[in-house]
Amino acid sequence: MKFLCVPCDVQMETQTDGIMPEENKNLAMKFKCKNCGHTIAMLTNKFETEFVSKLGVQMGGSSAEVQAPLSVVSSSLAQAKEELSKANPEDNLVWTEEALDRIKKVPFFVRNMARKTVINFAIEKGVTLIDGKLMDEVREKVGM
Amino acid sequence: MKTYEDLAGDGGSNIVGQVVSKLEKLRSRLDGIKHKVALMSGKGGVGKSSLTANIASCLADRGHRVGILDADLNGPSIGQLLGVGNDHKLVLDDDGIEPGIGVQGIKIMSMDMLLSQPDSPVMWTEEPGATAVWVSTMESTALRELLSDTKWGDLDFLLIDMPPGSDRIDNIRELVPELAGVVEITIPSPLSQHIVSKSITKNRQMGVPVIGLVENMATYVCPHCDQEAKLFEGKDAKDLSQNKGIPFIGKVPFDTRLSRKTGSGGLFYTEHRDSITGQAIAQVVDAIQNFIANNPKS
Repeated sequence: MKFLCVPCDVQMETQTDGIMPEENKNLAMKFKCKNCGHTIAMLTNKFETEFVSKLGVQMGGSSAEVQAPLSVVSSSLAQAKEELSKANPEDNLVWTEEALDRIKKVPFFVRNMARKTVINFAIEKGVTLIDGKLMDEVREKVGM
Repeated sequence: MKTYEDLAGDGGSNIVGQVVSKLEKLRSRLDGIKHKVALMSGKGGVGKSSLTANIASCLADRGHRVGILDADLNGPSIGQLLGVGNDHKLVLDDDGIEPGIGVQGIKIMSMDMLLSQPDSPVMWTEEPGATAVWVSTMESTALRELLSDTKWGDLDFLLIDMPPGSDRIDNIRELVPELAGVVEITIPSPLSQHIVSKSITKNRQMGVPVIGLVENMATYVCPHCDQEAKLFEGKDAKDLSQNKGIPFIGKVPFDTRLSRKTGSGGLFYTEHRDSITGQAIAQVVDAIQNFIANNPKS
């Protein structure tokens, strides 16, 4: 699926910092025209989202994320060993249990984007603790 | 206005590139493995894992390099038999995860190795509203990652211990198109044979090579005197194999020693090669090796 800005006749780009950490299985993504800056959101229902998930790819994800070993298992398995969780690219931010629970509920193929959105927001804000309140702020900022 | 073809990428996700990259990684990992064999049954409780472990033991005993993928994601058990339990320490780097090394050097990858506690269930979300489609999608993805991200190295045989039922073979067929074949396992009970017959039919219709049918728990072997007696009433599984037009490759007795480690921590086969059960396992392995030798494409 591709998105075209009709007035500019330019392909719209996935906004990797604009994914909402949605705590259900509905995919919500932003696309922006680099020419005029117009932004749209693509919203899908649960069944459409599950269909996309069968590809096992990361929406807006870089190839490096895709290559990480056991990336889906490590980020999705509810009771995984600690050393497996550490296989994920992480920074030094501290996540509360609530924040981790919420990020785990994001569909796996957009989870890295959601995590990045939250991390970028925390860094911009100069905080090191990611909790439920911060995630609420992210949602408000993203605006979806 | 531009058309779909005019737009070179997909806006940043590079979906096609990601799919190609995953396939390349999988191929690269599996290219070092000569023969891939799945062991399955439509029915649960027929002793697939115990048999798989001892078939691996027999192959290793013959000098082959062997690995086992425990594809029974929700009921992983084979690692315990090989001495690679839940307390196994994981070793990961950017290239992948090291498999567990079980008895006789048999390599193993199993969900049990990834879980935090021995009694931890395999759950992809703790959200009660998770749909079956979602869980199924996660399992398919997990299976691909276990295959492609495990550092199998060079192997002569990779045995795939399938879960009960015949649905997961669709994933394996897609991920491992060069699969040498499947070994179907039943027990003498009419119910088991009824269900396994469906599994055989499905594999034949889908073009999955069937190496043959094994009748497990065909008789009972007394661990004290090594004498055989009948365990189940039912039709001879040979009839099923004849009806389906597939080879009947072995009768393995019910033997309580098969599903547990020996006193020295090894697998049954290595210490009881000459027993009735040991010889039956060797016969199944002969059939697998003959099938592969006669089907050079595998």
